[in-house]
Amino acid sequence: MTTNSITKPHYMRSATPIPSSAIASARGLVKTYGKGDTAVQALAGIDVDFDRGELTAIMGPSGSGKSTLMHCMAGLDTVTSGSVMIDGEDVRRMNQRQLTKLRRMRLGFIFQAFNLVPTLTAAENITLPLDIARRPVDRAHFDAIVAAVRLETRLHHRPSELSGGQQQRVACARALVAKPAVIFADEPTGNLDSRSSAELLGFLRRSVDDLGQSVVMVTHDPRVATYAHRVLFLADGRLVEELINPTQASVLEVLGSLDATPTTDATDDSVALAPIGF
Amino acid sequence: MRRVALRGIRAHLVRFILSILAVSLGVAFVAGTFSLRTMMTSTFFGIVDSSMAGDAYVRGTEPVAGYTTTGTTGETRNTVPTSLATQIAGVHGVAKAFAEISGPIVLVGKDGTAGTRSPSFGMALHPNDTTVTVVAGRAPSGPTEIGLESATLRASKLTLGDQTKVVVAGVIRTVRVTGEISKGAPMAGATIVFLDVPSATAAYAADGMVATIAVYANPGVTEADLVENLTPELVRDKAARAEALTGDAMRAEARTDIESQLGFVLAFMLVFAGISLFVGAFIISNTFSMLVRQRTREFALLRAVGASPTQVFASILIQATVVGLLGSAIGIGGGLGLVSLLRVGFAQVGMDLSGSTPLDAQTVVISLLLGTVVAVGAAAFPARRAALTAPIEAMREATAPERSLLARSIVGGILTATGAAGLVVAVLAPDDHGSAMVGVGAGLLMLGTLLLAPFLVRYTLGVLAAVFVATVRPLGRLARGNVVRNPRRTANTASALMIGMALVGAASVLAASATASTRAIVDDGWSSDFSIQSATGNVPIGALADTRTLASVNAVDVVTYGPAVTTGPGETASAENPLMVVGLPVGAFGRSVTIDTVTGALDTLAHGQIAVQKAIAADRGWHLGDEVTFPSRTGTIGARIGAIVDTRLFRSPIIVSDVLFATIIEPAQTTVEDLLITAAPGVTAAELRADLTEVASPYVVLSVLDTEDFAGQLASQVNQILVILYALLGLSIIIAILGIVNTLALSVIERTREIGLMRAVGLGRLQLAGIITIESVLTAVFGTVIGVVLGVAVAAVMPTVFDGVGLTTLAIPWAQLAEMLVLAVVVGILAALWPASRAARLPVLDAVASD
Repeated sequence: MTTNSITKPHYMRSATPIPSSAIASARGLVKTYGKGDTAVQALAGIDVDFDRGELTAIMGPSGSGKSTLMHCMAGLDTVTSGSVMIDGEDVRRMNQRQLTKLRRMRLGFIFQAFNLVPTLTAAENITLPLDIARRPVDRAHFDAIVAAVRLETRLHHRPSELSGGQQQRVACARALVAKPAVIFADEPTGNLDSRSSAELLGFLRRSVDDLGQSVVMVTHDPRVATYAHRVLFLADGRLVEELINPTQASVLEVLGSLDATPTTDATDDSVALAPIGF
Repeated sequence: MRRVALRGIRAHLVRFILSILAVSLGVAFVAGTFSLRTMMTSTFFGIVDSSMAGDAYVRGTEPVAGYTTTGTTGETRNTVPTSLATQIAGVHGVAKAFAEISGPIVLVGKDGTAGTRSPSFGMALHPNDTTVTVVAGRAPSGPTEIGLESATLRASKLTLGDQTKVVVAGVIRTVRVTGEISKGAPMAGATIVFLDVPSATAAYAADGMVATIAVYANPGVTEADLVENLTPELVRDKAARAEALTGDAMRAEARTDIESQLGFVLAFMLVFAGISLFVGAFIISNTFSMLVRQRTREFALLRAVGASPTQVFASILIQATVVGLLGSAIGIGGGLGLVSLLRVGFAQVGMDLSGSTPLDAQTVVISLLLGTVVAVGAAAFPARRAALTAPIEAMREATAPERSLLARSIVGGILTATGAAGLVVAVLAPDDHGSAMVGVGAGLLMLGTLLLAPFLVRYTLGVLAAVFVATVRPLGRLARGNVVRNPRRTANTASALMIGMALVGAASVLAASATASTRAIVDDGWSSDFSIQSATGNVPIGALADTRTLASVNAVDVVTYGPAVTTGPGETASAENPLMVVGLPVGAFGRSVTIDTVTGALDTLAHGQIAVQKAIAADRGWHLGDEVTFPSRTGTIGARIGAIVDTRLFRSPIIVSDVLFATIIEPAQTTVEDLLITAAPGVTAAELRADLTEVASPYVVLSVLDTEDFAGQLASQVNQILVILYALLGLSIIIAILGIVNTLALSVIERTREIGLMRAVGLGRLQLAGIITIESVLTAVFGTVIGVVLGVAVAAVMPTVFDGVGLTTLAIPWAQLAEMLVLAVVVGILAALWPASRAARLPVLDAVASD
């Protein structure tokens, strides 16, 4: 596709039936932190469908609720109201045990940092979800993934002996190894230089295009968003825009139009440090 | 900064509680030990003051070989004639003087038994002795009456007018209790029976000799004047070999003696207090590491707004001081409680201790100081780390680099190797300072292993963990990784169990070996059918006579022990080191006992010669045919060495005939240890046992044993000693659990993000709890295995080294060691309960999002 189109998101109408192409969906998703006067609405009623076999990026200014949306979708956080469906199952109805099983069998995670268990080797980290679930490792699949992320020579190293880019590639391989329904990636390149970022994102995109994997990725970086099939924009807990086949220019354009105030997101999520005075 | 520090404690109070608890436990034991010491010394000093109220004492001038049978303190000296009392009564300034006549007695209580095994004394009640008062009834008069000390009366459950039995001077005597007599102070549970002077003299001073004579001065005469007046009289009477000293000097000697005896017990208890403080210090340091870690950002903020490293350091030390003071205060209270409990416990078993409050200012100051210094010292390391962390560094994901173990491991390795070498040398050359070698070797080995422990964690824990890694996949592997990740911390955590288990491991091996050794000795050398022994260590002569009259008895061989100054060729006599001599009828050899001779023959004993043990002969350079000499009342007696023997049946280095024994050992120093009895032809063991039991039972303290009983009795005695060790093991287990809980809690907090990650990729709560439990069990088992291996290694050396004292056989109680291992697993599981449930309850998102 060569044309970039900006459309009003069609899923803002509530109670829309879930299309069969969706691997993960939310309807009327509300998340409120705190109670009474101090209550903050992080998600203000979101309807969203993430399509099967697509790489979807979620963008938005700091505090727009993009990480909260991902955490709620992945069953990592509780939902105030609304429903979340993953691969046809209602996440909100699940108890702790079922949620654990869901994360173990159906979901993959890539975090910004601290993705690996420091006491395990790269290979052991990759197979960790399978080991936990006591499922056998599909050797051919494992080898294919390891080859794709080019980690063949680093398999028996500990995380502390790997570069940042290698660590994130191990995390990717781990997310892929159990063949999950959907992978959630939270700022996966947040701590990487541009070359390592490009490698990692290229790999994620290939896993979608070649293996039919579904990936949802939160990012603040317009360049990262260009690797996605589709970009969703959040502001104040609502979905406000959608881009199909984004380019850096179109993403910047939307971001610019979202808010007159410049986004502070570029300093990444550890802005919590800012008040300390650096 | 002080405000910041104090607010910090209030905000994190729960976290400080573990530290406070750790300090309290350690301090409670220190305070308790000191209080117990105060209480015991004040009790015993009270006894000294009330029973040694004389203004001057007359006693022998020369130290003699001997040990005390009456519990009197101080070195043993020659006895002085009782007649001296009347002789000096006329000396200027003397109001009254009387010989202190006392000796062992067995009192049969209301229930027909001799009650506890506390020391029992019979003593003469002088009519004009002002240190004792008749509280109720009247003083005993004649051989069939006794008076009882107040606590003794209560413990025996007898009442005035009751008829009962005493065993005195070897014979049973039926007596009536006529009076309750007070000595004016608690007697620490001793059984004290008063006899009138003629009866006491007949029983304990039949030869007219006593150890001391108490002298009381007329009003206005000082103690020093009294001694000055007495001395010329004593010097003139050379045959009496007596000297006078002031009451103060006598009491001071007694006190010094008591202090040195108690000192040993207290030193032992202080070692355990020290261990608990050591482990406590580690728990404190761990808690502060945890706090520092959690508050890194807060410190960074403080640094950023201008606080100096010193101020950050000081703020943590202030918190440590508060923890130390609070913990010590609670600990002192706990120590007092512990001692009060002990006092109640002692009172229950009839041991009255002084009522004066055992807490003195010195104890309070020492305990407070100790607790606080330990707390501040332990917090200093984490505090230093916090203070030196650059503000910006604290903002980042901090992964503290593990310090190298090299230096510590090298020092530990050297100490361990030296210790082990010491043990090996002790085994190879057991005669040259063997026991010292074992002591030093064991100490070095322990210290070295403690230092080497982190290295061992890194390289040996994998072996222990293999079971879990193989069976509980992948939890076992994850747990192993976590335990090995910080070897220093795991090793320190395991140290409490390591020390406790080493002690108990060694003790149980020694106990098993001692039992097995005795068994082997008895089986080899003891051929009589039965033995009669006394709980007081001395079989009454009356029982011997009674046994001899039995028709079912073929022969009774009396085994007597006593100390004698033994001088070999070319040696000079020294009363400091008397040798134990055992006396036996010549006919006993081959009949009741079998003794291996190296050279010579045991027949020679019938002709006044002696047999010596191989070890002492080698030690003193004695040979067959050499003449050794013994002092006796009638002058020095010489005896040739007629045999060199090798036997473990008798502890004494010298064996003589009963005839020679009676010549060289004074009756007061003679102990009848054993009656060895062989059955008359045609009498079954059961019949003989029935007859013997009938004879023995009136004496209350006698038991009739065959070889089987004898080994069993020894085993039960050994087990009683082990109970004390198990109590101490209990302490080390409590501390170990606290330590493991603390370490796991710290590591859960440190690993919050990692735990979140694993939960995110599908780790269940139970699986997480499983990992933490395996970590805990691994730590506990590691400490136990190393401790037990150490303890067994040290104990295994002992039979070779202490061969000479009857420890000949090495027996390893495998079942007991296995129980200890099971105990370790239980400890591990218990310690994991709280940290594991805490970790499992961490919300996944909090863990993922934790900074």
